[in-house]
Amino acid sequence: MEVRPILSVLLRSKTAPLLVAIQVALSLAILANALYIVNLRHASSARPSGIAQERDVFTLTARPVTKATHDDALAQQRKDVEVLRALPGTASVTWISQMPMSRSGSNSGFALDRRQARESALVSIYFAPPGAIKTLGLHLLEGRDIEDGDMVDFDAEGDSPTAKFPKAVVLTKALADDLYPGTSAVGKSIFYGTGDDAVEMRIVGVVDRLQSAIAESTRRGEYSAILPLAMDLAYPKFAVRAEPGQRDRLMADAETALRNVSITPRVITTRSVEEDRANRYRNERALAWMLVSVSALLLLVTASGIVGMTMLRVAQRRKQIGVRRALGARRADIVRYFVTENLLVTTAGVIAGVALAIALNQLLVSLLELPKLPVAYLGIGAVALWGLGVVAVCGPAWRAAGIPPATATRSV
Amino acid sequence: MLRYYLMLGVRNLRRSPILTGLMVLTLAVGVAASISTLTIVHIMSGDPIPHKSDRLFVPLVDNGPAKSFVPGSPPEDRQLSYRDAANFQRSGQGEFRTAVYDVTGAIESARPDLPVEQVNGLAVDSDYFTMFEVPFLRGNAWSRAEDAARARVVVLSRNKSEKLFGGEDPVGKDVRLFGQSFRVVGVLDRWAPVPRYTRLVNSTGGALSGEDDIYVPFATATDLELYNNASTSCHDDNRAPGYRGFLDSECTWIQFWFQAKSTADRGALAGYLDNYVAEQRRLGRLPRQAPPLLFDVMEWMRYMNVVSNDARLAAWLSFGFLVLCLVNTTGLLLAKFSARAPEVGVRRALGATQGAIFRQFLVEAGVVGLAGGVVGLGLTLVSLALIGRQAKSLSVVTQMDWAMLALTFVLALVASLLAGLLPTWRACQVTPALQLKSQ
Repeated sequence: MEVRPILSVLLRSKTAPLLVAIQVALSLAILANALYIVNLRHASSARPSGIAQERDVFTLTARPVTKATHDDALAQQRKDVEVLRALPGTASVTWISQMPMSRSGSNSGFALDRRQARESALVSIYFAPPGAIKTLGLHLLEGRDIEDGDMVDFDAEGDSPTAKFPKAVVLTKALADDLYPGTSAVGKSIFYGTGDDAVEMRIVGVVDRLQSAIAESTRRGEYSAILPLAMDLAYPKFAVRAEPGQRDRLMADAETALRNVSITPRVITTRSVEEDRANRYRNERALAWMLVSVSALLLLVTASGIVGMTMLRVAQRRKQIGVRRALGARRADIVRYFVTENLLVTTAGVIAGVALAIALNQLLVSLLELPKLPVAYLGIGAVALWGLGVVAVCGPAWRAAGIPPATATRSV
Repeated sequence: MLRYYLMLGVRNLRRSPILTGLMVLTLAVGVAASISTLTIVHIMSGDPIPHKSDRLFVPLVDNGPAKSFVPGSPPEDRQLSYRDAANFQRSGQGEFRTAVYDVTGAIESARPDLPVEQVNGLAVDSDYFTMFEVPFLRGNAWSRAEDAARARVVVLSRNKSEKLFGGEDPVGKDVRLFGQSFRVVGVLDRWAPVPRYTRLVNSTGGALSGEDDIYVPFATATDLELYNNASTSCHDDNRAPGYRGFLDSECTWIQFWFQAKSTADRGALAGYLDNYVAEQRRLGRLPRQAPPLLFDVMEWMRYMNVVSNDARLAAWLSFGFLVLCLVNTTGLLLAKFSARAPEVGVRRALGATQGAIFRQFLVEAGVVGLAGGVVGLGLTLVSLALIGRQAKSLSVVTQMDWAMLALTFVLALVASLLAGLLPTWRACQVTPALQLKSQ
């Protein structure tokens, strides 16, 4: 085709095309990295917590004003569960020590062998009774739920963990797979801590997924264990699953019910799992929005740059276009000329942009511990900018094609 | 002459209004994106107490178990055990010193119609208020004697005081807190340092947002067996049961601060810490061969990563965007200036030097930049408001200050001058004879 003449024209007056190519390159570099980060954050915040039908589940915390004795606290806890269970609209209820994504909870080290120097994994610890798995709607892959016989009544004021601690534990699949790669974890033993005092526990079941209280974005966010241990917690917490559509009404009812059931005053707060999720990922969402808006502005600015350059070049060459038209060139030929010219410029920008995107990613990797950019994003960015270039050039090119051949004959 | 050029520049803004509008808008958008992300980083990394941030020190000793020690690695935790904190309290080092941890409990108001409310706050020593220059609205901090006597005294935040007592002066009154009677000794005035450097590890909103409702003496809080309401890290699960066992354990949960008389005393404090660690080692504690660490306020905030990587990332990418806008503006200025070649030809023919042309066009580019700065400032305020609404924890860091305001204009001006360099140089190259002939 007519690439050679276009190229020689471009090389003769290269400032404006060069500026456009630089813009395309910068756009591609920023766009590819920004899209990748947005996607990373989105994937992180869309991860399942393990709780089935999250919108039906909420938590209540009932914190007594004065500390009760161990036995009284547990009796109150049992009573609270009964009260909540009796409420109309309650599908299932359990007490539990912490909730996924709630950003507050406890961790402990688990070890494969007590003689290890370091623990094998840092695990988010859920203390809960039998049935908690059902209330949360966790998917039991292997083995069994914890049972009443597994429950240990632990008084933090008098009992020592070495003497009195659960002997059964349910792990998440991610944790089980990493501790026992290739084999089933059920029936194996695991140590709570290391050293002579580490408690040996037996893995009785594996659930598909239960995120940690912090829901870290790394694999650690999937390392959780459910331990059948009853203790008087500083924040007695209950998880309630409502019948579909009843959650909001039940949240209000449950709060009133718990307020009325105890004689001693308590501070009662409720929070839905949806709120926990929104709070956990708020900053991720803010960053993603910010990057999406910068990307949109970026494309807009680049498009305006391309439109501007094409208009300038059309204005400079009105006469030549008229001559070409007079010599028999069709409108389509004129449009094709400018589109081809633009494609050449964009392509040069894209090639430079790919290199720049990789360099920018290297910088971000070294400064901010970002993962490496997958090649696919460079492809997406390149296609987006080619497309943008063609769309942006079409308008001015079409107007150029409308220049009448008679222009050529006027005032030479 | 410069004033004349400035006037010309302003007048020329109206020439080819679409092109000019596009330039101003492009610059404004680029500047707004950079300034709003930079504002966040700027406030996050600001010095909350500039005149003495180099005299306030956080000590850190590594009390982790020897078996899992990797030489050269940082301490296991960013807090101290009770044993170390109590030893530092008694040390007499520095001018002032305080231990800090998070407490939570229920407060019962004098008015029976109000429900029991949960309050979160800090257990601190009386020196805390002097060290961090905490402003009091009413009353005072408690005394060192009251620290020693484990007095049941409390300082309320202004918000909490207004909520519990309305407009009344609560100083001297009793409130029921942690199930006991506490005497209110003081009410703080508004005090919200950003970042919340005195207690970065907290459970009341993190390093940037949130507020402490109450302050009680550290010794009183431990006497009432209050556990820490923020991150607590324990490695020895074989500790003795009960609260006494917790205090005697190597669990880490306390933040400690020293205030030195002058910056020069840092060496003495570091020396004391070295001796302390050696002495504890002789007593059979601190088995890791790790040197103790000492941070001043700014070092401590860096160590605690107060500026999130996300904030830095956003700032970096926004600057990339500004460069793009700059290149775009260069193209637009080129178009605008090249249309003025005949004018340049006439001026040159009438005796203007190339330098004069250069100055005139660069001033014109600068005027475009200033206009971009004005529009950019508006856009920055809008985008900061939007970001603040998105994330509550970011709302305190989306406040513009004078430095950022000035930077907005400097950035817009520098960007426009840089963008104007090439087009201006091109304008200078105009050959007068050629232009005059074609007219």
